[in-house]
Amino acid sequence: MSVSTVTKEQFKQFVSALVDSDQSVIGIQAKDDKFAFGELNNADDLRLDYDVSILPPKKYVLPQKETLLSFEVGGDSQTVQNTAPAVLIGVHPYDMIAINQMDELFRQGEYDSHYMNRRNNLTIIACDVVTPSKNVFASSMNTTTAESGFDIMLTDIGDAYVVEAATEKGEALVKQMPGAVEATPDAVSKRNAAREKNETALDQHKLDCKPAFLPKLLEKAYEHPIWEEKARLCYSCGSCNQVCPTCYCFDVQDEVEWDMKSGCRYRAWDGCLLQNFATVAGNHNFRQKRADRFRHRLYRKGKYVPGKIDGEIACVGCGRCITACTSKIANPVEIYNALMTETEIG
Amino acid sequence: MCNCSNGQKDIYLPELCTITKRRMLNGTELYLHLEKESGEDFDYVPGQFVEVSIAGIGEAPISISSSPTQKGLELVIRNVGSLTKAIHKLEVGDKLGVRGPYGSTYPIEESKGKDLVFICGGIGLVPQRSFIRYALDNRQDYGKITVLIGTKCHDMRLFREEIALWEDRKDMIVRETIDEAHECWNGNVGVVTTLIPKIESDLPTSQVLVCGPPIMYKFVLMALAEADVPESQIYVNLERRMKCGVGKCGHCQMNDQYVCQDGPVFRYSDLALVPEAI
Amino acid sequence: MSKPRVAIFDFACCEGCQLQIVNLEEDILNLIELVDVVEWREAMSEQSHEYDIAIIEGSITREEDAKRLEVIRSRAKILIALGACATMGGVNKMKNNFDLNEVRECVYGEDGKMAHLHTEMTQAVDEVVEVDFKIPGCPINPAEFAQIIRSLLLGKTPFVPDYPVCVECKAKENICRYEYNEICLGPVTRAGCDAPCPSAGWRCFGCRGMVENPNVEAAQEVMEKYNLTVDDLKQKLVLFNTK
Repeated sequence: MSVSTVTKEQFKQFVSALVDSDQSVIGIQAKDDKFAFGELNNADDLRLDYDVSILPPKKYVLPQKETLLSFEVGGDSQTVQNTAPAVLIGVHPYDMIAINQMDELFRQGEYDSHYMNRRNNLTIIACDVVTPSKNVFASSMNTTTAESGFDIMLTDIGDAYVVEAATEKGEALVKQMPGAVEATPDAVSKRNAAREKNETALDQHKLDCKPAFLPKLLEKAYEHPIWEEKARLCYSCGSCNQVCPTCYCFDVQDEVEWDMKSGCRYRAWDGCLLQNFATVAGNHNFRQKRADRFRHRLYRKGKYVPGKIDGEIACVGCGRCITACTSKIANPVEIYNALMTETEIG
Repeated sequence: MCNCSNGQKDIYLPELCTITKRRMLNGTELYLHLEKESGEDFDYVPGQFVEVSIAGIGEAPISISSSPTQKGLELVIRNVGSLTKAIHKLEVGDKLGVRGPYGSTYPIEESKGKDLVFICGGIGLVPQRSFIRYALDNRQDYGKITVLIGTKCHDMRLFREEIALWEDRKDMIVRETIDEAHECWNGNVGVVTTLIPKIESDLPTSQVLVCGPPIMYKFVLMALAEADVPESQIYVNLERRMKCGVGKCGHCQMNDQYVCQDGPVFRYSDLALVPEAI
Repeated sequence: MSKPRVAIFDFACCEGCQLQIVNLEEDILNLIELVDVVEWREAMSEQSHEYDIAIIEGSITREEDAKRLEVIRSRAKILIALGACATMGGVNKMKNNFDLNEVRECVYGEDGKMAHLHTEMTQAVDEVVEVDFKIPGCPINPAEFAQIIRSLLLGKTPFVPDYPVCVECKAKENICRYEYNEICLGPVTRAGCDAPCPSAGWRCFGCRGMVENPNVEAAQEVMEKYNLTVDDLKQKLVLFNTK
């Protein structure tokens, strides 16, 4: 597939044309002094120099609340699928890797058509990180660059972007970019330098082992006192779950309309840190203790989910949980490093 | 939004089934017999469960109590929440949404030629009955069949007529006990573990199938260990909170195991590294 | 089947929660398709002693109010406490932290001695009579009210979350107030409101009361991480969470 360059001005014209088309365009934009993905109304609002979005772009494949079925109360149900195409601009490599993981999880076993339809209808224009966020540790997680999942990857090389098309959809979009020319060796080497820099620059926290070692590390750490020590301050507010690009647990509920005859079954983000996540009818809670719930998240990221996706670690180093945790106890690096020094295996 | 699914079936879409029989088994447990509107039979193996729903009220996982050797699907539903309360109000001819079957199965093949020992606590009898009936319908395939049933109190006993019929059979042994003595009861009194020493099968070579409330497992498993039953011959049928039933929503997870997919029936030796299980 | 008869009553409150019902606008018409509203002082002049569902707004601050509430309870099959004052005493309960005479004098001056201004310690509705269902909030969230009423009419236990406001606040992609070193009661307050206050740039005031198992032991250490004190936190909690 092709590697081109466009000037920033030309790229803006391209985005403007996309925004003016009937295509739905989602882009990274400022939200007060932070950034968030949202419907893009003006190419000027696109902020590819952002550090990190408050919520990961997973909300476009697994929305906070999503209708699964519509039904007649007490009667038959119909599937409700979102098939509206959209272009998503500004996905960072670590978030791209998280979406790739979710793709596999929703595809494997029972195929989740709700997720997969949204995903298949998304055209992703990803971009390499320009500004490291205050808690990013992608350098430790080998997630500073992404190899697949996107249609186009942009790299900022000063006054221009290097544009790598990775799919047919991506190629077609590059053709629409005014003034896109084949990238010169100089532009490509500038891109490679930017990526090389990110390999070590996205490192506000440093994991003391290779991520691939985490499943093994966790094998010996189940009874470690750190779970209790940290979870002592846990509010069980689920913020770490909500902002995580690889958390995909959900709750399912029914809602009825005022006519009391029609309604919908929807799913909404849930979180394993929340008090009643594992409570069954009759009120038995299978994960009653804060420490057990706290440990479960770190094990899911470092051991359980990897077991389902070929060993890939389900923490991509975005650092959002570190920022979102009121009690400042969620930092996975801090926890894994403590286990490294304090367990025999470390 | 549109209502097409690009040719892929929606795994969350229930199929309406008709209630063909219903009766209360005791004060809180409702027995239902269901048939598909299409007339097709249900395709399942003992141990599996279905997701049952009433649109507007909600959905919940329910163990299958019937055996695939019989027609239709039998469920037993305890009145504990909004959905089950609404199901209790349904009559013969009314419809229920059903998805599934899901989950792992009892070792029906592997157990052939071996003695079977079922240890059931409370509504744990409900899913166990699926394999019990299957084994009775394929009687020649299995060795001695022993069924131990423990119930909290006399009024909560399930499938009383059926148990009486089992007791009359010469080709199986049924032992029942209740936790609390009752004037109408002259059988065993005490928890189900008290029946384990009375088992006539050779326990170390039997297949032992256990299902009951969370508290029961610890004691039963201790008693089985004392009786030298290898952990690889013990099967437990576990309950967890469940939403999707298809390994996505995360609620039923115990360490790395999903009760909806890896379970609900687990070989106990496979749970050695699953401390959240028992 | 005849429609359930509903009566709405108010005690010590600002009547803002009833106003939120009025704010359902055209959905009010949907509501009265489903129920017969037989008494509702804020919206109609008719009165009735026969009703199935009584909805109570306000806290109980006088002997005669407690008696009136008991009569309502004896007539209603289902009694719903509506809003912060009814479900937990609300803002009115702050006065329980002081000497009642001082409070009266502070608010009314000399007039505080007038007989009709005499009130007792504030009680939530469930401190006086049995409550079947609580709809929290100051004011209530009309969408949640509608969802709860429809669920109850379907015979279904309504979904009222027992997780903190943070869940809804994060879902709305708000910036956490703690990032600005400000106290927010979101981590201990029951969700269901859809986090309107943090979404508007305010902190959570805790108007829905605490979740079932709030981590109060964590408060001191967590506040220190933001150069705040437990007293700062308590000051914020007193508005709605006076016991």
